[in-house]
Amino acid sequence: MLISLNELKKYVDISNLTAEEIANGLTFAGVEVEEVSSFASGTNLVIGEILECEKHPDSDHLHILKVNLGQKFGVEQIVCGAPNARKGLKVIVARVGSKLPDGEIKKGVIRGVESNGMCCSLLELGVDSKYLTEQQTKGIEELNPNAPVGEENVLEYLNLDDTVLNLKVLANRPDLLSLYNVAKEVGAIFDRNVSIPSKEIPSSFTTKVVNKSETDRCSQFAIREVRNIKIKSSPKWLSSVLSSSGIRSINNVVDIGNYVMLLTGQPLHMYDLDKLPKNELCAKDDFVGEFVALDDKSYRVIKNDIVISSNNIPMCLGGVMGSKASEVDANTKNVVIESASFDGASIRHTSNRLGLASESSQRFVKGINKYQSNDVLNLATQLLIELAGAHEISDIKNWEKSIYNQQVVSSSYEKINDRLGTAFTNEQIKNVLTRLNFEVEEKGDKIDVLVPKYRLDIDGSADLSEEVIRLLGYENVHSVLPRLDTKVGALTISQTRKRIVQNLLLDNGLDECVTYSLISKKEADKFNLLNNEDKYQILNPLTDDHEIFRTHILHSLLKVASYNVNRQNKNLALFEISNMMSKQSRNNHLAIVLLGKDGNRDLLETIPYDFYHMKGLVESIFNSIGIENSRYKFSRISNCNKELHPGKSAEIVFQNQVIGKFGEVHPSIYNEYDLGKTNCVVLEMNLDPIFDAKVSVNKMNPISKFPTVERDLAVILDKNVLSSDLIKAIKVSSKGLAKDAKVFDVYSGNNISENKKSIAIKIIFGNDEKTLVDKEINDAMDNIKFDLAKLFKTELRS
Amino acid sequence: MAQSLDLIREEALKKISDCKNTDEINEVRNTYLSKKSELMSLMSTLGSLTPDERKEFGMKLNQTKSQISEALNAKQEELATVELNKKLASEEIDISLPGRNFSRGGKNPFYIIEDEITDIFLGMGFSVASGPEIETDLFNFELLNIPKDHPARDMQDTFYINDNTLLRTHTSPVQAHTMQESKGEPIRIICPGKTYRRDDDDATHSHQFAQIEGLVIDKGINIGHLKATLELFAKKMFGEKREIRLRSSYFPFTEPSVEVDITCANCGGKGCSMCKGTGYIEILGGGMVHPNVLKMNGYDPEVYSGFAFGIGIERVAILRYGIDDIRKFYQNDVRFIEQFKKA
Repeated sequence: MLISLNELKKYVDISNLTAEEIANGLTFAGVEVEEVSSFASGTNLVIGEILECEKHPDSDHLHILKVNLGQKFGVEQIVCGAPNARKGLKVIVARVGSKLPDGEIKKGVIRGVESNGMCCSLLELGVDSKYLTEQQTKGIEELNPNAPVGEENVLEYLNLDDTVLNLKVLANRPDLLSLYNVAKEVGAIFDRNVSIPSKEIPSSFTTKVVNKSETDRCSQFAIREVRNIKIKSSPKWLSSVLSSSGIRSINNVVDIGNYVMLLTGQPLHMYDLDKLPKNELCAKDDFVGEFVALDDKSYRVIKNDIVISSNNIPMCLGGVMGSKASEVDANTKNVVIESASFDGASIRHTSNRLGLASESSQRFVKGINKYQSNDVLNLATQLLIELAGAHEISDIKNWEKSIYNQQVVSSSYEKINDRLGTAFTNEQIKNVLTRLNFEVEEKGDKIDVLVPKYRLDIDGSADLSEEVIRLLGYENVHSVLPRLDTKVGALTISQTRKRIVQNLLLDNGLDECVTYSLISKKEADKFNLLNNEDKYQILNPLTDDHEIFRTHILHSLLKVASYNVNRQNKNLALFEISNMMSKQSRNNHLAIVLLGKDGNRDLLETIPYDFYHMKGLVESIFNSIGIENSRYKFSRISNCNKELHPGKSAEIVFQNQVIGKFGEVHPSIYNEYDLGKTNCVVLEMNLDPIFDAKVSVNKMNPISKFPTVERDLAVILDKNVLSSDLIKAIKVSSKGLAKDAKVFDVYSGNNISENKKSIAIKIIFGNDEKTLVDKEINDAMDNIKFDLAKLFKTELRS
Repeated sequence: MAQSLDLIREEALKKISDCKNTDEINEVRNTYLSKKSELMSLMSTLGSLTPDERKEFGMKLNQTKSQISEALNAKQEELATVELNKKLASEEIDISLPGRNFSRGGKNPFYIIEDEITDIFLGMGFSVASGPEIETDLFNFELLNIPKDHPARDMQDTFYINDNTLLRTHTSPVQAHTMQESKGEPIRIICPGKTYRRDDDDATHSHQFAQIEGLVIDKGINIGHLKATLELFAKKMFGEKREIRLRSSYFPFTEPSVEVDITCANCGGKGCSMCKGTGYIEILGGGMVHPNVLKMNGYDPEVYSGFAFGIGIERVAILRYGIDDIRKFYQNDVRFIEQFKKA
């Protein structure tokens, strides 16, 4: 809402207050002023008259003017490029030294001709082009032939000496879409006098127009007939006021409607009485059909749109736009003014559907004061008499659904203070409420507060607290930490585990990312390794890119990898933990992308990321939560291998379900994600099963006092035998003497036949009760060799 | 005889001092101290001396022997040190080459702020609640005093799944969930989480962003408690010197509602370009829980009152780290993320 201070000061005393002070006061009272701007500015201005206008000899568009600036400044020569410069025109002249929004005017020589000043357009004085006609933006401003030559207070003469406040009106204060109510607000904040004029215009006859409503969506509908008007352009003051408020001037009658709306907040509509098919205006919500509006376009009206009809022909889409059929035009003589109250929700639906939002519809949507139609119609009538020569005024007919009861809120001074944590006196509170036009009735300890009619946002004691504090100021609230029961503020087990995993990965040098939850339809199935449940789809997406709520992270994280690779960040270790949601479930997922090399010492020692890096991370995650390796296992992935390398991938099985998959990506993926020639290992894992897992308390194991003995064993066996099976067998056949066995070399190639590999294993023998003797160890080794040969057809390697 | 011992000693000590390496030392040791050496051969003459002479000469002989031996040892040690130093010098490495890397990965500042704010409130006895990102109209709007067709719904352009299901536009639905689960008991929670609004992405807007919701419900809670809690938060988060101020505002689910500004870090409150000359920067919104919200979620507003607030995670990160574009959080350029390695 744009508020012109020139207009505001007609209704509230703002003397000695700067625009900034007013803006600050409003902002702290909850009415944020987003901008304070001068409507126009300029120094050293004067009104002049062009005495001579000759073509510049050296230019095809410049003129050399002799301009009379009045007695004080005499006649000056000015070179001017405006196409409309001509002899006899009264103009705004910026004299040498003048400061305009775009700079200072200096004495100059233009193509060899001296020029002492500039003839101005309003654009050059800083007026926004949206308030100007096309003609005004193309040339210098053409002043009224009666404009006084030599007048120096040019901005004031033109009513351009205005400052405009841009108010951000929040949804709870639709009443502030009215200048009168802003005046009351300013009056309350600064405790200044407010005077809102109110004048009863007597009627000279009774209108024959019947007004009524056949729908709950129009709860009040008042009309007045005004005859014998003359359509012409608005006086300068009116078009200036509208301009300052962001509304273009059309003609006197339309402008009066808009002006009254700016002042009172009540949108008006005017019908050309003589174009009505019948002396009837009826609000309905069951009209279905085409409607040709003022903008000459045809709109489809459906059930529940509010229509004002006459003889069942729609004359107006209530609160949204009038019809072409009853338009007030240059020949209009008699009008019916409508001041009605339409249901905001209906207006919202209609204007959203048809893409017709206006100052009027906006006010209905947010809520209007429906109890001021008499005042509004009187004000409009008065202006029509003054500015359009109207005579013959009918009575006001108001159709109302129910009789109004003014709202009363019961509270107490104590209750108001309690909510705020303040100790305001009864007088302070009463004073504030009174300034805001509430009426306070004291009833013992309690108060009954009568709410002003225009305040739609007050319906309880809490609202009164807000009124009090927003005027008295939050600096009066004492900060006191609440005294609450002592409580351990702690994360839940799963929140703690999330942090453990997060920190583990960070500590291992992985970068933590955050990506968008919404992805495209196509992306929803890309690299989706785990979750095939039904996905949520957005009904009203902004773009195709953000249409599906994702159930997996890996695709997004691979896109991050791609983004980085394309910026020469070629070695990447990335992860993200985020919430996934499908129609069936909600889970925390972890995704990891390892790409390129693990540059442990920059480029000096690099290890290409492989399957085992990822496996190690997964094992560390389980370890860090306290889940022993016997509780989970890695298996080959049986299906779904278009994304992962079939031989270099695995699934993580925990509690008999696959909770994650990882491995090197399938060769075909590198191109798809533009990852370059490198190697990439990825993981997607549902963390919830391990976040929720029961973990036993650690108990210390005693450390053996007796020494261990190490023996190495190298065997050749089939390539597809898993080393884990070999180790399991060694432990079994050693009859408990082998405490551990570790692979220290795997080899295939020269000297080893195809389909075979050589594995070297270090076996650690020991006993917690005694020192083992050589014979025991030798016997165990013989056993092991024998069993391995039997189980895996191993040969010993010399 | 005694004189010959002196000669031998002088000669040996001179040779020792001329030694240049361990081999030469060994040679000298051989020459003077081996069984066949001149000195040792003098030993065999002892038997032919009188007891007195034997005693005197024997002493002198031993003395000479140990003097030579000591000198040899000292020289040997000296040379060993020289040789070791030489060897060590030859082993010098380039200490400017990179170290083996044990450093942390970078943490997107999004998470740094989320965790830090969470920890501040954990310290004040808050618990951490969570709720679904896909919500019902009931929880996202109606139970928060935003009925259907309420004009405040226009403040939040919403992604809908269907008429009744939507992506939450704020973390406030967790207020309603928590109240319903707590069944009338006092509440002290925060809830960090992702939220979504139908905004085109640009430097200052994002269709996805994150908030931290806070909610305290108990008997006798007032605005002063909110102010003190947020003051404490602001000082922990932004520094002890920072002050906050409250401005009246509007949210449908709080009454009164406030915007909270913090003194500008750049100018300390004097006014600069960063704070547009006001000395303050807006950081969060809050207020007293609206009585309707309490009532709808099972609390008697005549008995209980509460405060709530919502902090924008990216907004705090942007202010703290001087980040110029909200899209940076979601691009995850590692050159951005790896600037944030501090644990």
